[in-house]
Amino acid sequence: MKKLISRILVGVAILASSACTKTDNYNGPNASFQGNIVSSEGGNLPTSGGSTTIKLQQIGWTTPQTIPSKFDGTFEDTKLFKSGYKVVPTGGAFWPVYDTVTVNIDKGTKHDFVVTPYIVIKNFTATLTGTTLTLKFNIEAPVAAGLPTIKDAQPYVNTTKLVGTGASIRDFSDLNAKVINKEFTDLSAADKAMTLTVPNLIPGRTFFVRVGVRLSDSFNSSNFSEIVQVDVPK
Amino acid sequence: MKSIHKLIIAISISVGGSLTSCQKLDIPPTNIVTPDVIYSSEAGVKSFLATIYQNLPIEDFKYRPDQGFKTGGNDWENFYNSASVNGEEVGPFGGMDIGGGFGYWPYGDIRNVNTLIAELPKHVAKLSQPTVNALLGEAHFLRAYYYFSMAKRYGGVPIITVPQDPAAALSTLQVHRDKEQATWDFIGTELDLGYQMMPETSDAGRANRYAAAALKSRAMLYAACVARYGSVNFVDGPARAQGLVGIPADKATAYFQAAYDAAKLLEGHYSLYSANSDKVQNYVDLFLKSGSPENIFIKQYSIANHTAHSWDATMSPRYMTANALSRSYPTLDFVQLWGALQVTNDDGTPKRFDNRAQLMQGLEPRLLATVYFPGATLRGLTFDMQRGIYPSFSGTAVAEAAKQANSRSYILAGDVKTLFQGKQVIGFTGPWTGGDELTRTGFYVRKYVDYNKPQSAVDLNRSEQPWIDLRYGEILLNRAEAAMELGNSGDALTSVNQIRSRAGATPYASIDLNKVRNERRMELAFENQYYWDLKRWRTADVVLDRAHFKGLMPYYVFNENKYIFLAEPELFNREYTFQKQFYYEGIPGGEIGKNPNLLPNNPNY
Repeated sequence: MKKLISRILVGVAILASSACTKTDNYNGPNASFQGNIVSSEGGNLPTSGGSTTIKLQQIGWTTPQTIPSKFDGTFEDTKLFKSGYKVVPTGGAFWPVYDTVTVNIDKGTKHDFVVTPYIVIKNFTATLTGTTLTLKFNIEAPVAAGLPTIKDAQPYVNTTKLVGTGASIRDFSDLNAKVINKEFTDLSAADKAMTLTVPNLIPGRTFFVRVGVRLSDSFNSSNFSEIVQVDVPK
Repeated sequence: MKSIHKLIIAISISVGGSLTSCQKLDIPPTNIVTPDVIYSSEAGVKSFLATIYQNLPIEDFKYRPDQGFKTGGNDWENFYNSASVNGEEVGPFGGMDIGGGFGYWPYGDIRNVNTLIAELPKHVAKLSQPTVNALLGEAHFLRAYYYFSMAKRYGGVPIITVPQDPAAALSTLQVHRDKEQATWDFIGTELDLGYQMMPETSDAGRANRYAAAALKSRAMLYAACVARYGSVNFVDGPARAQGLVGIPADKATAYFQAAYDAAKLLEGHYSLYSANSDKVQNYVDLFLKSGSPENIFIKQYSIANHTAHSWDATMSPRYMTANALSRSYPTLDFVQLWGALQVTNDDGTPKRFDNRAQLMQGLEPRLLATVYFPGATLRGLTFDMQRGIYPSFSGTAVAEAAKQANSRSYILAGDVKTLFQGKQVIGFTGPWTGGDELTRTGFYVRKYVDYNKPQSAVDLNRSEQPWIDLRYGEILLNRAEAAMELGNSGDALTSVNQIRSRAGATPYASIDLNKVRNERRMELAFENQYYWDLKRWRTADVVLDRAHFKGLMPYYVFNENKYIFLAEPELFNREYTFQKQFYYEGIPGGEIGKNPNLLPNNPNY
């Protein structure tokens, strides 16, 4: 009986020592792709979570993957497989780009995309009176003809610098939206100078604020202003 | 000597064995049912049909829009319904969790139908020509049903009408997608065949010719709306450019006409259920009584066969059942489709009610039969909804509801046992925020709930009331909508007023498209129609744009001994946003892997 057990143990030991001796010799993905989404009106396109993405279609593969853009209009993915990809920016508030670009992605590949935003927000100012924040800005459209209907304009208020759709305090943000539902070409000059207010901010807190104008394009996407910091005194 | 005996035995066994064995290897297998067996009698075909019917994509009690069609014995979570994301109700979904679908791809079932259609004509001798024709008609109806369930999800799909040979070349097996328009046209043609070939009547649970006409009115309305509204509100992409999704706008009229004509075929053959002169009871019974002249196509359930559903145990609170829990509740927004509830005075202060049931006075019978209001009764128990107690109350309803929770003077409780000066703080039936097994809105679903069942019998997998998949009420509404879209408002008014008079509502003097659509929402509430209606009207992204829904919270005012009702956000205050890309679901990735010819995928997938 003892003999049998020891034989089994020897067998197990041999199996155990001979197994798993070969390491995984395939390299992980190490190609990278980064760049800027440049606005045709100058600077990077300000974006937000859940909006602009870079869509990559690996040639010879069926399912696309995406790289979400950062809030400052840059994007980066460092875990891609080296290959040829068809790439196109999508999902944001800019005139659709139909022509995909073919890029051979390898280590440190860089590429900038130029897009034409639907709306550009200019002269953005934030004035605090007591606990009420007044936001003023003008909207301009680089291309007015055929612009999707403008749905609404709203402030985005958050306690961190990551502020935008899906990253804002609803009571200060969505609830202060102003419904527009008009074509850009039907807006008067006065309509294009907009004012939004955020009442009842909490004293002694710091907020990060921007405004967005939402259009009824394929993605109900928004053009954003830059982000400003607002310190509410105690 | 012994060994010789053994030898003799061994030889005789092997010789005997070899003589009797291996005579014939080419015999029909006994564990596979061959076509000869199935098609030699109508009963055989019926057994094959049973599989096809069982898998038919009927969006019934058990259908889960994020997981699929359920045919198991314990698919009890019936509150995971599309109503609970589209604003009819709020429920267990955390948001718009059903927009992407569940990758439905029923080509296995379609192959079964294709096999049936290919085989039946070969067996005319045994089955007789009329039987074969009737069965073929039924098969065309079933095939259309499967394709309809895909067309409304994906737009254009590969139209496969013959059982594919697995040994055929890969290039012939990897079928391209057809255009969306071609897919809808195919569905229309199939249903025409079904109407022409099927008999007038059928066993309950099986289709007859009018089921084909009824389904056609539903399907063509869908196609027509894709043409009319999908050409205005869409997501662009290669699939759209190639017509795989989207239909040219000028085709809308023809589809609306087809929907109208199909609905008209049922006139005189079916009628609205109106056996009981009590309008509330009549509307309740419509969903529970068998043999209703309104039922065109139903799906049946059986405890014995382990197919029963759990509607009764999951729509009412545990207080009124023997087991389980409820998790989805009608919203105030839905209830107010019937008009604003009279809960505030002209000066904005909440109206004082002597008891909760007073709220129901003067409401439309159909509404009362669709939703359980505070004060209603079920199985001898009262829906005693009460969110809390105000020791005293002053001010307006709006001002009170707008206050932060911590500055309100109400008394709330975490359980039903807590008392305030001897008075129960929250009702046995909620509402409360401790979980979602009591109402979050102040209402419960009444439609389809079997009030006759004793409480002890209301358990999981113990509900057998059939699902009415096609009923004449819907057909009248299909007809009204098609008529309205075609500019025939007179016909639309007549159809809608038939519905309204049965519902106990005041008939309309005039009609518009909005009234027709609202009538549909009210009549077909919780029947898994509104989600698809929102999609085909292309209004889902507007209606469900960061949407929050409301409830009606009953409170007891202690010093007055009265009840008040305040409109407040439903207690979880969830947000629902429908992305435009959801108007079409993406073709399942696994299927694209098997068949790259399904590309391009739908826009933005």
